[in-house]
Amino acid sequence: MSRWRRSVDELAARRRQQAECERAQDALGRVTSCFQQLAASLGSSADGSFLRDELDETRAVAHRICRGLARRLLRLLSDCDSTPSGVEDRRVSERLWVLFLSALENFLSDLHKASDLIGQFPLTQRCDRRSLVNTGCVDGVVGVASRVASVQVPWLTLEEESRPDLTNHMAGLEVMLAEMQLKVPVAFWSVEATQPAWAEAAGDPDDPDDSLERLMEVQLPNRQLAACCCWPA
Amino acid sequence: MTIRNTLRDHGQRYRPRMACLKKAEKMLLEMQDPDTGVKSQPQRLVITTIPHAITGEDIVAWLADRFQVDTQEARSFGSMLVALGYIYPLQDHKRLVIKPDASLYRFQTPYFWPTQQWPVEDTDYAIYLAKRNIRKKGILEIHEQEQYNRLHKWMNHKWDFIVMQAKEQYRAAKERKKPDRVVFDCQERAYWVVHRPPPGTVSGMDYGLDRRVDPNADEVTGERREIIVLHILSCSLVKYCATYHSHDPFLSKCLPSNPWQTDDNTYWTLNMHNVEIPTKMRVERWTFSFRELLSDPRGRDDFRLFLKKEFSGENLAFWEGCEDLKWGTATQMKEKAEQIYKTFLARGAPRWINIDGKTMEITVSGLRHPHRYVLDPAQTHIYMLMKKDSYGRYLKSPVFKDTQKKAVCPEEHKFSDAQLEQNARNRRPSLSPIILRQQEQEQRAKMAANAPVDITQVMSKLSKQGKDGKELPPSRRTSKT
Repeated sequence: MSRWRRSVDELAARRRQQAECERAQDALGRVTSCFQQLAASLGSSADGSFLRDELDETRAVAHRICRGLARRLLRLLSDCDSTPSGVEDRRVSERLWVLFLSALENFLSDLHKASDLIGQFPLTQRCDRRSLVNTGCVDGVVGVASRVASVQVPWLTLEEESRPDLTNHMAGLEVMLAEMQLKVPVAFWSVEATQPAWAEAAGDPDDPDDSLERLMEVQLPNRQLAACCCWPA
Repeated sequence: MTIRNTLRDHGQRYRPRMACLKKAEKMLLEMQDPDTGVKSQPQRLVITTIPHAITGEDIVAWLADRFQVDTQEARSFGSMLVALGYIYPLQDHKRLVIKPDASLYRFQTPYFWPTQQWPVEDTDYAIYLAKRNIRKKGILEIHEQEQYNRLHKWMNHKWDFIVMQAKEQYRAAKERKKPDRVVFDCQERAYWVVHRPPPGTVSGMDYGLDRRVDPNADEVTGERREIIVLHILSCSLVKYCATYHSHDPFLSKCLPSNPWQTDDNTYWTLNMHNVEIPTKMRVERWTFSFRELLSDPRGRDDFRLFLKKEFSGENLAFWEGCEDLKWGTATQMKEKAEQIYKTFLARGAPRWINIDGKTMEITVSGLRHPHRYVLDPAQTHIYMLMKKDSYGRYLKSPVFKDTQKKAVCPEEHKFSDAQLEQNARNRRPSLSPIILRQQEQEQRAKMAANAPVDITQVMSKLSKQGKDGKELPPSRRTSKT
C-alpha cells in the first residue's frame, strides 16, 4: 500500500476517533449535569435511598465514559503527525483534550461536594430523616434518572463493568487528572472557543416565557398577578 | 483545566478556618425539627404550591426564643444566616436581610451551602451565567454582563465546555417537575447572589486574604519550646481578655452610653484629656499596668502630681523628654537632645536623673552624634525604675486614693426613639485638631514654666544652706498646679 493511501486511512481513522470522542464528551456532559441535579437534592427533604441509588448509577456511567474517553484521547494525542493536515487534526484533538479535562475537574468538584453531603447526612437510620433540610423540593428526579439512562456511549457495551465506590472514584479521577497532565504536554491556553460570546442566547426557541419571574407570580386576592420576586426599583 | 494563580500568592493559599459555618449548620438542622423547629407554610403561586416557606417574623421569634436574646439581636443573627446563604428570601432576593414581617424565606439546600474546604469556582459561575443567558435570551444585568465578558476572555480555552455544560444543565433541569424546577432555580440564584454579589454589596463569605497554613491539615507536632511559647502567649491573651472584658465597649455596656450608637457625646466629654474628675472605669484601667497609666494623659497628670509630692518628678520629665525626642521633628532633634542633656544628664544638672554608670556612659557617648533613639537605653532604665518603684507607691498613695474616691460613675442613659432622633439631629463636629494641638502646646509651656521641684534640687539647696548655716523649708519654690 502506498504511503499516501496509508496516510489517508490514518486520517480517516483519526477523524472517526475524534467524532467518537466528541459524542462521548456530549454524553459526559449530559451525565454530569444530571449528577448535579441529583446532588442538589442531597440532604434536603427530597433525599432518600432512591436518590442515592440513582446518584451511584450516574456516577458509574460517568466512570465508564471517563475511562474510555481518557484512553482514547491519550491514544489520539500520543501519536503526533507533522503533516499540515496533521496540525489541524492535532488542534482538534487538543481542544477535545482540554474540554475533557475541564469536564473532569468540574465533575470532581461535584463529587467532592456530594461525598461531603453524604457524610453529613447519612440515611442509615430512620431518625436521620428528621435532620433533612426542608427545602421545598419534593422528589421529582425520575425524569433526570431516565435522562441518564438514555445516554448513549459508543463503548458502553464493549467494556467490562467495574463500579468503584465514591472515595475510590474520586481518588481515581484525581490520579487520572494528574497522569494525563503529565503524559501529554498540551498548552491549554492555546485552545480557543469555537463560538463567539453570547452565541448561546440565540438558540433554543422552545420555552418562550418560562422565566423564573413568570413562574413565581402570585395570584393576589383581587385577581391581579403580581411578581413574587420583584426586581428592586 | 483551570489556570491557578501560582505567582502572586506569597505562599498563602488556604481558606481560613470558618468555625461559624459549622455552628450555623447545626442551628439550621435544629430549625428543621417538625416539633420544635420553625413553622413552615406553603407558598401559593399561580401555577402551583410549594411547601416549606417560612416567614421572617417566625424565624426571628424562633431565634429569640432558642437563644434567649432580644428581638434586635435575633434579627441580626437571622440576617447573618441569610447573608451566609443558609436561608434565602423569596421576595426581594437581592437584599440579604431578615425582614421581621410576613416576608417569605426558604432554607437553602445543603448542596448550595457555603463550605470552608471548597472555594466557589469561577467555572461554575461561568456555567451559571451561560445558563441564564440561554434562559433570558441575552438580557442579563449589567454586572452579570461584565462578568460574562471577563470570564469569556479568561476562560476562553474551556468556553466550549462551559456552553455545552450550560445547555446540558438547562435540559436536565427541565426534566424535573415544575415546582421543583422553580425551587432549584431560586436556590441557584440565591447561591450566586451570596457568592458573586451585585455591585454595591459585600459577600457574607468575604474573608480577606488566604492564609499560609491549612487549617484542615493535621496538627504539626512542633518542638516542645514552641508549644511552651504558644501556651504562654495564649495564657497571656486569655488574661488580657479577662482583664479588659468589662472595659471593651463592644463586649460590655459603655457608660453613660456609646456615642456611636446614641449620638450623645457625654462619654467623650467625660473622658477628655484634661478633665478634672476622671471616670471610675478610667481610674481602674490605671491599675492594670504602668503602661496604661502613662499612656492616659489624665493618668500621667495624676502620677506627675504624686511624683511632685515625692520630689522625684525628674524621672517622668526625662521620660517625657525622651518621648518628645523620639516622635518629634528631625530639625529640632539636635537642640532637644542638648537640652535634655543639660537638664538631666550632665554633672550638676538641675534635674539630674539616677541611672547606672554603664548606661550613662553609652548615652553620653551617643549624644556626641545625636539621633532619634540615642536616649533609648536611659529611657528604658528610667521607665523600669518608675514601674518597679514609683508605680507601686503611687497606687498606695493618698493622691491616687483621693482620685479614686472622687472618680465619677455616670448613670446609664435610657433614650427613647424620639430622643435618639433628636440626638442625631443635634450632632456637631468636635474641636478642630489644630486648636487641640495649640491647647496642648500651651499646656506644655505652662508646665515647663512652673516646673516642680525635684529631690536633687532640694538636696542641693539643703547642702548649700547647710554650708551657709541657714535653714530654708524645702517646699519654698512651690508651683501652682
